[in-house]
Formats: sequence, C-alpha cells, structure tokens
Amino acid sequence: MSAKRRLIVTLGAAWLAVAVVGIVIIAVLPFPPDHASDTATSISNTLRLITWLAWPIFAAVVTGIVASVMIGRRDPNAPHAAHHLARGNPRLAGMWVGAVGLTVLALAIFGTLTLSNEEAAEALGLGGRAVGNSVGGAGDESNLEVQVIAQQWQFVYRYPGFGGFESAHLVLPVNAKVTFHVTSLDVTHSFWFPAIGVKADAVPNNDNTFGTQVTKLGTYRIVCSELCGLWHGAMSDNNAQIVSPSDFTAWVAQQQAADAPVMQYLPPYSHTYVPNPAAYGS
Amino acid sequence: MNRRGALTVLAFLAIGILVGTFATNYLHNSPAATASTASPDTNNGSPVVDINLTTVAQIGSGDHPNWVSYLPTTYFKVPPNSTLRITIDQQDGASGLRNPYYALVRGTVGDSMTVNGKELKSIDPATAAHSFAVPDLGVNVPLLAVDASAPAGSSNKIVFSFKVPASGIFHWQCFVPCGAGTLYGLGGPMQTLGYMDGQIEVG
Repeated sequence: MSAKRRLIVTLGAAWLAVAVVGIVIIAVLPFPPDHASDTATSISNTLRLITWLAWPIFAAVVTGIVASVMIGRRDPNAPHAAHHLARGNPRLAGMWVGAVGLTVLALAIFGTLTLSNEEAAEALGLGGRAVGNSVGGAGDESNLEVQVIAQQWQFVYRYPGFGGFESAHLVLPVNAKVTFHVTSLDVTHSFWFPAIGVKADAVPNNDNTFGTQVTKLGTYRIVCSELCGLWHGAMSDNNAQIVSPSDFTAWVAQQQAADAPVMQYLPPYSHTYVPNPAAYGS
Repeated sequence: MNRRGALTVLAFLAIGILVGTFATNYLHNSPAATASTASPDTNNGSPVVDINLTTVAQIGSGDHPNWVSYLPTTYFKVPPNSTLRITIDQQDGASGLRNPYYALVRGTVGDSMTVNGKELKSIDPATAAHSFAVPDLGVNVPLLAVDASAPAGSSNKIVFSFKVPASGIFHWQCFVPCGAGTLYGLGGPMQTLGYMDGQIEVG
C-alpha cells in the first residue's frame, strides 16, 4: 500500500469513527425545545434528524480539509512540483454538487412536511391540524382557546371558553389542543413558552395565533423575548402549569370565583383591544 | 520603555479607569433603599413592618420635577418573612387601568385593602390613579384616585399588607400608564427607575 493510499485509509477510518461517535451522541443529547407539546416534539425530532444528517457531512468536510493539507502540501524539496490535486475534476465536482443538492432538497421536503402539520399549514391555508379560530365551545377543555394579553410587564391569560376570566398564570389541561391568540395592550412583546415550542410576537392591535397540543404535565417558565422596556427582564411567568383535566376544572372554578368582582369591568372578549390613548397619562 | 510608550500605557490606563468608573456608577445608580420601620404587630407570627409612601402627580424636585412619582423612595429593604404594611397617601387623579384585570386587590392579607378606613376588594378600573403590584408575589393593589370634584389638597389613605418570603429581590411597579406627556402614558416615570416602580430587597 502506498503512503498516500495509507493516509486516505487512515483519514477515512478517522471520519467513520468521528461520524459514528457523533451520531450516537446526537441520539442521546436532549434537543430543545422540551417535549411538552406535539409541536415541540416534532420540532425537536426535526432538529435531531437534521443534525444527524449534517454531522457526517461536516466531519467529511473537515476530514477533506485535513487530507488536502496533508496530501497536497508542497514538498519543500521540490518547489516546482506539479499540483495535480489543484486541477479540475468535473466528475468529482458534479458528484459533490449533486449529492449536496439532493441532501438540501430532501431536508427542504422534510422540513415542509413537518411545518405542514403545524400552524404554518393553517396560516398558508394548507389544512394541517384543525386548530380553529373560534372558541372550542363553552367549557370545552379538549379544544381550548387561550388569549395571551401582554402589557408592560406581565402576561395575562384570558379564557373565553370559560366566561372570559383572566389569570396572571397560564394553566392548561394536559392533552388539550390549545389555540393561543397573542396580542398586546401597549408595545411589542413576545410570548415565549420554550417547553411547548411556542414563540409568538405580541403586537398591539394584532391577533397572532398558534396551535399546539400540550402533552406533558409540569410547571414551566414563560418569558418575554422582545425587549419591551425597563422591566423586560422581570416579565416572566415562573408558574405556568400543565395539569390534569380535573385539576384544570378545579382551577377554573377557583379563578371564576376570585375574578367575579372584576368581570363586570372586563371588556367583551375580542381578538384585539384598542386602548384609548386619551385616557392615559392624564 | 521609552517615554512615548510609557505615556501611551498611562493614557490607556486612565481611559480604562474612567470607563470602568462610569460603568460601575451607571450600573449601581439606583435610588437608596429605605429600611422599613418595625411595628409591635404580627401577622400569624410574621413580624409586621411599616412602609409609608405618598403618590404625587408632580414630584416637584430632582431631574424631572414634573414627573409623577412615589415618594420618598421606591426601594425598600425589609426583614425576612416579614409582613409589609404599606400605607399610601394617594394624592393623584385618575388615569385608569389599561387592563381592568388589575382592578381587583390580589395577594394581600385578606385579599383586600382599606381606603380611608373602608375595606375594599376591588375598584372601578377607570378610577385608578396608580397601582402597587409585585408580580412575582402575586400582589396587586389598585390605588383609588382622588375624585376630580374633591377640594384641593384631598388625598386617599390606602393601607394593605402582604407577606414576603425568606429572601429575594422583587420588582414592583405601577400598572396604570401614568407618564403624563409621554406616548400613551408609557414613557418617562414609567420607564425610569425610582418613580413608578422599584424593588423590595428581603434580607
């Protein structure tokens, strides 16, 4: 075996080892976001698959660079040596471009299929999951509409299917299909619930929707991810919960009773609220 | 090292010290915290401490004499596990709550407050002058405005209590957009430390 061939075999073995180890690590690494909704799970799985596909290619490119440096290095004793490796190789280039093109095309199709199951399908009118724009019937816990109302510096959640009460903590029943309607009363905020893979801008006079099915019980954190003023950093809900349907029903009853004194003052449920600037700062 | 090199190093050092001093001062530029006053009372074993505040339409001094503000400070230092009894001399008129959700008293002892000695659990959101809210403790108290027809110099005495945990720093704020003369009332004193917001340092 020539020295060059031996080098190629060594580098090939090194690439294979790095690729396999990487694939195993990627398989066990926790990928964001958390798996607290079907959307989060599919986003996480997509991310993992793409990383799996990308890792061996990345390793091959790095191996190729190392190989080029080692094989193609100019021999200091032969300053005018022929640089045969620098010559064009249309067949190799064609294969390379073709392989990259096919990979990117496959990823694009895969990503589109993933998105088509999500809210993008609804936005694009492609069908997808039926998240609906309307309240899922009064008291319907399996198809829940929740409004996120942002203001400086707190998110408040409104439950139109349960009399329209509001809460400073988001509570959702597990396995419910939830449609979030996100809006703001003042400046632009961003509602970010990492565990369920939801991040939606809260824009005044704008109704931003997102649908998902929450799947994992737990206590989670929601933060504002749009710089929104002095206390942006304090704008979080550290006690967002996904609970059992019976706990949800109990919580709703408790909130309805607690909110009774202000229900008369809350505006009728609407996808946006237009504050009256003349009334403020007077 | 020649003279020019030494001067260059000295100049860099001087600039570094100036920038460092400015940054340190800027980062620590918050109003001085006021310690609460101990009282003989207890709330289920939790020592009650008093904090007395005033809300005015115009602070009348400092960099922004025309700004609305809490006085004398918005930074409090309180003992662990204490119950804060806050008395506010509320002198301002109504601006109204943007979200009527905040019209309900929440998180205080008894989920209520007293206004001029009368116990209230909520107010009409349009009659709110300001609010005292500690989001992380679930505390929200809407402050009833002085009626427009009341004689000059009138004020509402608002008292409420809530318990703080063993440690932590909690931000509190007003939820009424009350920054007069700014867009939607959201600027000026609403966006500057020490006017319509502050923090409670426990420990």
